[in-house]
Amino acid sequence: MTSTTDGHLAADLDERRAGTSTPRFVAGKVGGALASLVLVVVLGFLLFRMIPGDPVATMTRDRPTSPEQLALLRERLGVDKPMWQQFLDYFGGLFQGDLGTSYMYSRPVADMIGERLGPTLLLVGTATVLAVLLGMWLGIRAAWKRDSAFDRVQTGVALTLWSVPQFWLGLLLLIATQGLFPSRGMRSPDVPEGFVAQSLDVAWHLTLPCVTLLAVIYAQYMLVMRSSLLEEMGSEYLTTARAKGLRDDLVRRRHAVPNALLPAVTLVFLQFGMVVSGTITVEAVFSWPGLGLLTYEALRGPDLPLLQGVFLVLAGSVIVMNLLAELLYRVLDPRVRAS
Amino acid sequence: MSPLLELRDLGVTYATGDGEVRAVRDVNLTLEPGETLGIAGESGSGKSTVALSVLRLLPRTARVSGEILLDGEDVTGMRWGRLRAVRWSSASVVFQGAMHALNPVRKVGEQIAEPIRLHTSLAEPKVAARVAELLEQVDLPPAKARSYPHELSGGQKQRVMIAMALACEPGLILADEPTTALDVVVQAQVLTLLSGLVAERGIGLVMITHDLSVLAATCARIAVMYRGEIVEQGPGSEVMGRPRHEHTRALAAAFPTVGDPVSRFAPATANPLPPEPAREEPDADAPGLLAARDLRVTFRDRDGRAVPAVAGVDLDVRRDEIVALVGQSGSGKTTLARTLLGLQRPTGGSVLYDGSLVPTSSAGLKEYRRQVQLVLQDPASALNPRHTVYEAVAEGPRIHGLPGDERELVLEALESAELRPAETYLARLPHELSGGQRQRVVIAGALALRPSVLVADEPVASLDASVRGEILGLLLRLRRELGLAALVITHDLGLAWNIADRVAVMYRGQLVEVGSVEQVLLEPRHEYTKSLLAALPMGTASAFERGV
Amino acid sequence: MTSPAWQRRRTAAGQLWREFRTNRGGLIGLGVLVAIVVLAVLAPLITDEGGLDVITATGSPLEPPSGEYWLGTDVDGRSVLLLTFWGARVSLLVGFAATILSVFIGTLVGIVAAHFRGWPSAVLLRITDFFLVLPSLVLAIALSSVLTKGIWTIVLAVGVTSWPATARLVRAQTLTIESRPYIERATALGGGHGHIIGKHVLPAVLPLVLANTTLVVGSSIIAESTLSFLGLGDPTVVSWGSMLQTALSSGSVTAGAWWYLLPPGLAIVVIVLSFTLVGRALETVLNPRLKAGR
Repeated sequence: MTSTTDGHLAADLDERRAGTSTPRFVAGKVGGALASLVLVVVLGFLLFRMIPGDPVATMTRDRPTSPEQLALLRERLGVDKPMWQQFLDYFGGLFQGDLGTSYMYSRPVADMIGERLGPTLLLVGTATVLAVLLGMWLGIRAAWKRDSAFDRVQTGVALTLWSVPQFWLGLLLLIATQGLFPSRGMRSPDVPEGFVAQSLDVAWHLTLPCVTLLAVIYAQYMLVMRSSLLEEMGSEYLTTARAKGLRDDLVRRRHAVPNALLPAVTLVFLQFGMVVSGTITVEAVFSWPGLGLLTYEALRGPDLPLLQGVFLVLAGSVIVMNLLAELLYRVLDPRVRAS
Repeated sequence: MSPLLELRDLGVTYATGDGEVRAVRDVNLTLEPGETLGIAGESGSGKSTVALSVLRLLPRTARVSGEILLDGEDVTGMRWGRLRAVRWSSASVVFQGAMHALNPVRKVGEQIAEPIRLHTSLAEPKVAARVAELLEQVDLPPAKARSYPHELSGGQKQRVMIAMALACEPGLILADEPTTALDVVVQAQVLTLLSGLVAERGIGLVMITHDLSVLAATCARIAVMYRGEIVEQGPGSEVMGRPRHEHTRALAAAFPTVGDPVSRFAPATANPLPPEPAREEPDADAPGLLAARDLRVTFRDRDGRAVPAVAGVDLDVRRDEIVALVGQSGSGKTTLARTLLGLQRPTGGSVLYDGSLVPTSSAGLKEYRRQVQLVLQDPASALNPRHTVYEAVAEGPRIHGLPGDERELVLEALESAELRPAETYLARLPHELSGGQRQRVVIAGALALRPSVLVADEPVASLDASVRGEILGLLLRLRRELGLAALVITHDLGLAWNIADRVAVMYRGQLVEVGSVEQVLLEPRHEYTKSLLAALPMGTASAFERGV
Repeated sequence: MTSPAWQRRRTAAGQLWREFRTNRGGLIGLGVLVAIVVLAVLAPLITDEGGLDVITATGSPLEPPSGEYWLGTDVDGRSVLLLTFWGARVSLLVGFAATILSVFIGTLVGIVAAHFRGWPSAVLLRITDFFLVLPSLVLAIALSSVLTKGIWTIVLAVGVTSWPATARLVRAQTLTIESRPYIERATALGGGHGHIIGKHVLPAVLPLVLANTTLVVGSSIIAESTLSFLGLGDPTVVSWGSMLQTALSSGSVTAGAWWYLLPPGLAIVVIVLSFTLVGRALETVLNPRLKAGR
């Protein structure tokens, strides 16, 4: 869903480079992120109240229900109160970690999300770390040997993978490796107790979802790293470095890459939204018991409080990652750090 | 003993999409140890290509022919390992450090230490000591080693570049435009430093620049390049004093000596200037056509502190006169110009046109702008690359809905700007024109509105030397023929000497000295004006009076 | 003076085409796209729509590819080839419509945010940043889950969630253009907002918007397939995403029916890749910043 290709990043980053003093900067960014979080809460709240029809009617549409039961349900869910009252209740509840109650499962949404957080973090974390390493390494090599066979092949592969819907790649891998890896879940039921055995089992389950997620996001990182390094390669300070008598690989390692890494590393954080989007479909395909699968399940209902909760958590985490990226960039780039 | 550097029949061709381009041909140069040689030329003359070819730093598309002998050894035939060993230890380069020649994310100390570690086996503690020593030699405190390039001023960065070049005690230093983009005073300091260090150590120096006056101050011998060839070569005084090639003459004329009566009201132009018309003796007390009264502009910096850019300026530009506003970058002269044009709102004081306040409403401003027009520094970016000359010149008349035949107006404006025959320029795009022609189009665009005042912000600063005189001649001619008043903003005192009637010297947002050109430039009263004149590489007015 | 201007535009277009032609990837992408669009438009003429009906389907469920069904059949016994063929219409329609919506909003917001000073532009920028950070798929899921299911809901969901990237690009480009001295010159000549935007900013921004548009079409098609795959699409229309959804939910994938899985997925990859290649080629030709790096 992210249509920012590598070419556009430069302008964005130039903008980020214009700096202010550190306390003001941090205060500004944190304040902005907080405002965004509040906006997400408001947006989430309004969005899921927009639904035409009565949520209670939707919930009970397959069961015969008496009007008394409906009224009771309404009161319990709080949908009989005026909109602003509902919002205040909801907003107040957030501070106590209360995200409402799931229509379908009649359980606190916060608990359900809490259970699913771990698996998602494991999947996203593993895939991101691997994708960053692979993407950066390939991107640096491709840019340095620009227009070589290596560059053309790598860029071609990355562009192709970038055009692949993640869920389809997952399905394809499922069929292609039929039986080699488990097709669903995170654990097998019959694995003996013990950390090693359990970990191996999880890793075995993790392989396919992780590869699927990795394949698409590394491509983005590679393209970003490649174009970032290409931007740097025309720089005059590289001529200075060459004039000093540095070997080509030292010019690259000491001068070009550190400069190119700055924007690229930051973009890793900025692209986190893309990873989150990918998680939803990949988890749905492999029934990986994380937030993505929870979203998928909530869509079946649709279970609005659950959807709203997941929306809040996913969007919120992206905002936090984005804040980290802004702060990290400031730490990494001396030009912005000083003022 | 073989010479330090010898170029034999050096030729460089670049492979481009449209075939081969010969950037340099048949260049023969010799430099003995300890000698200083200056190479002068305009942009595109091939002078930088010559410098870069010595260490084989040219891009891969370049093909080099001939021989480049460094200490008697041919650089073109060296293996990579040998070449890397020679780079920086035998010959180092001072790039235009004020710009991007330093790595922005590494401390300057590390960058100076890098070649030392690479080419010597100095122990690590001694490397740090050496860096400190080098910084002291270029008059920088050793603590600056821990700074990043962006924390240094342009002059400091250039000093770092020089310290870096000295790091491995090379026999030869190539300096490529080492003082371009620096202010006059800083430029003088850097040049003195560089020539001092080179002379002390007996290092050979090749200095490349477009500014002939810089070479005159630092180099024993001068070579002038034009279109890839050396057109004139000889001792500095000879080349400067009695230039034989016409191109050298154009270059020399571009940097006139302040105080030299020959260049007063005589910019180097091929077309003869009209005689001075009879002018009324200006009434010194009457307000000017365009006037600033206690004008103030204050900006807020990132932390909200007030930074005064223009701090109480009174200035008059009268009918039929050219006023030069002189100052260094950061003195507030451009802000003043923008405020006079209504492009920047003043925070205090007022701008008067023909005795009445300049309106702030958008309709009123639009009307005002018919009278006062702007000419910008870089004509390459002052024209929309997608618009033809016709569209560029017609833009003003269209905006204002001027009566009369549009085509006639455009042709007339182009004629006034000396683009003849005007018809041939109409359909051309800016990139098809030379720098001087583009600036004429910008001027024509302003003239099309028939203004009474031109405000020109560094109108020749980004033009090649040979074009400079022509544009200045045009401004002077417009004043003499049409009575067009002008405020010319410049850092170049020679320009003021060439065309201006009066000079205003701006320093830290204030006018420290205003008066006739002769008065201010020949008998400066304010210390700042004196330091500006003292920094002129060609010598000052007083030096001129003493010497010639 | 219309005739020289027109002539110049034609020369510029010719120049663009000549440069574009040297980019092999872009040329191949363009060829594939033209072919696919023509086929999709002609689908009702060259195929029988009746084959899409579950009731009148002639094959048996999940037949492997054969002489009769080149790409096999789906769970309902319909020809996968025919489904893929017709799916292109929906995917392209949604892709283009969502892109028009997205690019329109993005360009408008981008130019306004960059050109005007003061608080309205600050607010616009803040909103753009907010939506840019928000994972657009999550937002699109939320939107399409609360609206009535249908093609236009998908178009709306994709369109109103994917504009910030365009807005950001257009804003950056507008800022670049407006920092050029010729804008100052135009102001000094007396030009107002309309003049600056109409004569200087728009002509310079539009080519990049065009390149960006091709890229947005690609990502919109992927977004459509993802939403359909998650069961948020129009259940009455066949699209590539909905085919894949049926393939998973009906157990065909675990049953090893690769012929049901490959065609729609490959179709998405080919079409998105083509759009991406064309977009990148256009970008290279049109973006002076990238061209200078060559």
